[in-house]
Amino acid sequence: MRISLEAIKNKCRQQNITLTELLKQAGVSRNAFYTLARVDFVLPKSIKAIAERLNISPSEFLTEDDRELEKMKLLLKKADDLAGKYKNTDQDNIRHTLLLLQEPPIERLRRALIRGRRPDIRQE
Amino acid sequence: MAEDLIFAKNEIRFLRELVRHKVDFMIIGLSAAALQGAPVVTQDVDLWFADLAAPQLTKVLNKVKSIYIPPMGNNPPMFAGDGVKLFDIVMHVHGLGEYAQVKKQAIKISLGDFKVPVLPLELIIKSKQAAGRAKDKLVLPVLKDALKTIKSEQH
Repeated sequence: MRISLEAIKNKCRQQNITLTELLKQAGVSRNAFYTLARVDFVLPKSIKAIAERLNISPSEFLTEDDRELEKMKLLLKKADDLAGKYKNTDQDNIRHTLLLLQEPPIERLRRALIRGRRPDIRQE
Repeated sequence: MAEDLIFAKNEIRFLRELVRHKVDFMIIGLSAAALQGAPVVTQDVDLWFADLAAPQLTKVLNKVKSIYIPPMGNNPPMFAGDGVKLFDIVMHVHGLGEYAQVKKQAIKISLGDFKVPVLPLELIIKSKQAAGRAKDKLVLPVLKDALKTIKSEQH
């Protein structure tokens, strides 16, 4: 598992920055980057050993929880900001709306219907 | 498992056929609000039609093996058949005026490979305020908060 220079350059083109600008903004030196780019396996050796023992690619057991966490942190920060901006709003409503906006419209409707048609346990 | 079946193939097919056959309608009420991102719950999908006697609507109902049941006694008109059970027919929307005028303000929302006309959240709020029933008053703060959030996201 190695760094794909081509993939990084493509991403840079999509985001309209040069590789040099990317490294500068990311705080990574050119030396460090090109050293990493030459390595055949950039993950720790223990990961390689586990993957080899299981005869699978490390990508099959590596997750991106951090990315999810970062996304959620951003969303909660936005909810805080909006609640601060609009007085007398309920932060739960704002947070739930922001979460729903990440779903396609059909899923938003399904959620509303599933909850709406669930038997009300308080009446049982 | 039953949850997976809510608003699945049959219901989507009905809406797709309405659009394909150019039936003049729009989704209103809390379903319309949910489609736009408001965190609400609802039991049905309210549809407002320009003309319930439109031949194109009859064609669609035939195609999805469903029927139109006219108003009886105090009961409003309704559809019957698999795939249309979730849909309610609405004859009048409080506080918004005539269908044709309101329809001009409808927004299009994608349901995958087609788009449906939907009453904008601002007008849903206006109609709930005009209706003024207890259940409308309960949901109004949620709709208003959702509208502010959605507008902020659009800017």
